[in-house]
Amino acid sequence: MEKATIAKSLLDKFVKAGAGDVIISMVSEDASQIKFANSKIATTQSWAAEKAEVFVEVKKRLVSTTIRDLSEKAVYDAIQRIMKFANASTPNEDYRGIADGPFKYKEIPETYDSKIVQLADRSVDMTEEAINAAAENGAARAAGVLESSVSSRYILTTNNAEAEDKATRAYFSIRAFADKNASGHKVCNSRILSKFKPAEAAESAAETAKLAANPANGAEGKYDVLFEPLPFSNLLQQLGEAASIFNVESHLSCLAGKLGKRVAAESVTVSDNGTLANGFNSTKFDAEGVPTQKNTLIQDGVLKTYLHNTSTARKHNTKTTANAGLVSPAAFNIVLDKGKLNKEEIISNMKKGLIVTNVWYTRFQNYDTGDFSTIPRDGMFYVENGKIAGAVKELRISDNLLGIMRNVAAIGSEQEHVFGWEVELPVITPPVLVKDVHLTKSVA
Amino acid sequence: MDFDLADFALNYAMKLGAKYADVRLETTKTNEFILKNGVPQMAGFDRVQGLGIRFNSGGCFGFASINILEKEKIKRMIEKAVKVTSKASKIADSTEMSAEKAHEADYGVKQKISLENLSPGDKLNILFEIEKAIAATKVDVPGRFFSMADFYTEKYFVSSEGAKIVSRIPRVDLWHFITINNNGKTAQRYWQYGDAGGFEKIVDKNFPELLKKEVLTTDKMLRKGVKPPKDKIDIVVGPQVTGIMVHESVGHPYEADRVLGREAAQAGETFIAQDMLNTRIGSNAVNIFDDPTLEESFGYYLYDDDGVKARPRHLIKNGIINEFLHNRSTAAAMKTKSNGASRATAFDREAIVRMANTYVQPGEQTQEELIEGVRYGIFMNNFMEWNIDDKRLNAKYTGAEAYIIQNGQIMEPVFAPVIEISTPALWSAVDAVANNMEYHSGTCGKAEPMQAIPVWFGGPSMRIRNIKLGNKT
Repeated sequence: MEKATIAKSLLDKFVKAGAGDVIISMVSEDASQIKFANSKIATTQSWAAEKAEVFVEVKKRLVSTTIRDLSEKAVYDAIQRIMKFANASTPNEDYRGIADGPFKYKEIPETYDSKIVQLADRSVDMTEEAINAAAENGAARAAGVLESSVSSRYILTTNNAEAEDKATRAYFSIRAFADKNASGHKVCNSRILSKFKPAEAAESAAETAKLAANPANGAEGKYDVLFEPLPFSNLLQQLGEAASIFNVESHLSCLAGKLGKRVAAESVTVSDNGTLANGFNSTKFDAEGVPTQKNTLIQDGVLKTYLHNTSTARKHNTKTTANAGLVSPAAFNIVLDKGKLNKEEIISNMKKGLIVTNVWYTRFQNYDTGDFSTIPRDGMFYVENGKIAGAVKELRISDNLLGIMRNVAAIGSEQEHVFGWEVELPVITPPVLVKDVHLTKSVA
Repeated sequence: MDFDLADFALNYAMKLGAKYADVRLETTKTNEFILKNGVPQMAGFDRVQGLGIRFNSGGCFGFASINILEKEKIKRMIEKAVKVTSKASKIADSTEMSAEKAHEADYGVKQKISLENLSPGDKLNILFEIEKAIAATKVDVPGRFFSMADFYTEKYFVSSEGAKIVSRIPRVDLWHFITINNNGKTAQRYWQYGDAGGFEKIVDKNFPELLKKEVLTTDKMLRKGVKPPKDKIDIVVGPQVTGIMVHESVGHPYEADRVLGREAAQAGETFIAQDMLNTRIGSNAVNIFDDPTLEESFGYYLYDDDGVKARPRHLIKNGIINEFLHNRSTAAAMKTKSNGASRATAFDREAIVRMANTYVQPGEQTQEELIEGVRYGIFMNNFMEWNIDDKRLNAKYTGAEAYIIQNGQIMEPVFAPVIEISTPALWSAVDAVANNMEYHSGTCGKAEPMQAIPVWFGGPSMRIRNIKLGNKT
């Protein structure tokens, strides 16, 4: 059966069984991965999945579920179980409904490429080329993954939204090691094959690794820090998550109560853009079927909006930003506008400071205030009088997220698209210089 | 579940020339509830089924999974995966597996209060009771976020070496996150509770009383907490802090796949090298285990996802590194036997080396006796922020509930003291462990795609001598 037919049939059956608002999303995905370590392939992985994601509202009782077996009997049984479950649940008095369609949708450039669909075992060759590129540029060994996927989503709602989108994605992550203590990490991702450059990422990771050799122990203190795109994406991801009204209400956000207020330096403009050409998470519609859009979250340092779905927007007397998430509105692609100086120019203007090429394990002591710490990983470099003076290790950034955003002193002119193990929300950012970042270290 | 499908997939992979294959066929039933600031959010109700197959083709391991349980689609999926894996073998790590006995078994965990027999309203009611208990404290708690989930997983593992293992494991999980306000200044606290078993595991913990205590304690720390001492002091840490320390700085670095570099681009490597086995890493007081066989534990299993029979692993013996955590691949690479640490979160994830339930072995003294032995220091009962570098060498733990100790007595609260310490320094400075054993639960992250797996971590209170606290910001 066609997915539109299945979705219509499911929707009608839920309504007949007593449901109010219903959203059916028919999803399919085929994905594969090559995982490598010590410059050898450790395993291949492949996944095939088809499912119907279902949202059901019964008198403000909200249930989400997934139906995988679409045979007539299985669907009948599933509907009986889900409606029984919904009827025995408790109403959500905050619920204000889903969006009223129909909508018109625009095609987003560079989000589907048949060459990625046909990649197949060519991914082995691409992995080998990247491993070799790392070795040729000084890496003693390299580890990472190369992934590709093709997926489709068809959505149908009781409120007349109906749409279909298909997507391809390619993702590569490589960590190159010059020795045990000298490493560099780079990711690349693209929706189309012609802009997917694993070997270039491998070269860059190896260059960082080579430069990171013989690191000295870093000293605690305040530093001007140039964050490369990979680590600054980690921080912008936190900011993107903090912009969700669900997290604001849950006290999981340092942006609560700050609409219209300064939350970053004047040079900082951050948007979420679900319609970005070649954006890793770009999609024609959100989880309610509302056409996605670009939302400016921070304009010239001032917080302009939170991210909403229809229900949260109605509760807060505003309009949906087309960021459903039915439980929690969520960003698609966070974008930091670029500045004027290139990376070399920023470094040449630094008197004393650090270059951080990656961070990991970001954790908050208090989400309300933004107090957090995160740990530089891979190459970290000490800068003196505009030049790299050597590699350093074993420091921790212990600071405040809003403080860091307010202390942004320079934004680079070249953006990179980042998505990876630590940055699951795609971020497009240039390198960013931040003044007076507090770094700590083990005291024993 | 149709076990024949797993056998079919296994046989088909072998027919295509695999020299080894195993299949995990799995069904998981999940119910999830969230109560946010007194309002129930969308409930999750899921029934997931699928199979994952691992095979060795031409010397390279491949893994494939599918949730469409139709023979033709399973065949096509295996054919595609074998083709890529055969090509990959030209630059593959020539992986072997340690020789292990193939087991046949059928086991599970019993539920005293069946998860199936309770309505969503019955389950959600626990969260409303927590709301009521918090309201009764009269403390300003503007953020109240609770999630509760139950899972029932039935799994059939079959291998080309003759293993056939069926397991049925129910798990429950409750997570809280509270924000306390005092004149615009806030403090936050979260914790997770998880077990294998039925709903009795939720009922028995008396969450309304537990959250009432959390609220009152966090409020006290916020209102009355003094600044942490700056000199070198002695620290007594409570079981929750012991638990996170043992998980992060012993469990993770002793995962043999990290030692071998397999997770280098994701969860990282480890400062531990293979030749550090049988060398000293801590004081004589330190004995650390990881044990999947603890009954009703969050990380419970009797056979791992390689089909190997689980057993307790004695990671640190009297301060000496005693063994690593192994699956069959890492065991072969290090020329030893697997100790049953191979786990996958679901049918669609590869099995890799994971912890189960990691803990510090308790001692003879009471917590009070440990504290009595401190002239000046702090008692850090639990924590909020923590992290550790990807070599597992430098960790940070920021206290939530903590107090000054003076002349062996608990004194005033101390606000957010920071322990920022290297792993060898930490375990070398432990001079005594108490007898107040506790297990706590967590969802541990590793692998790509991410696999968040249920574990316990725990131990008793520990005394750490002569440590300087770190700086907050």
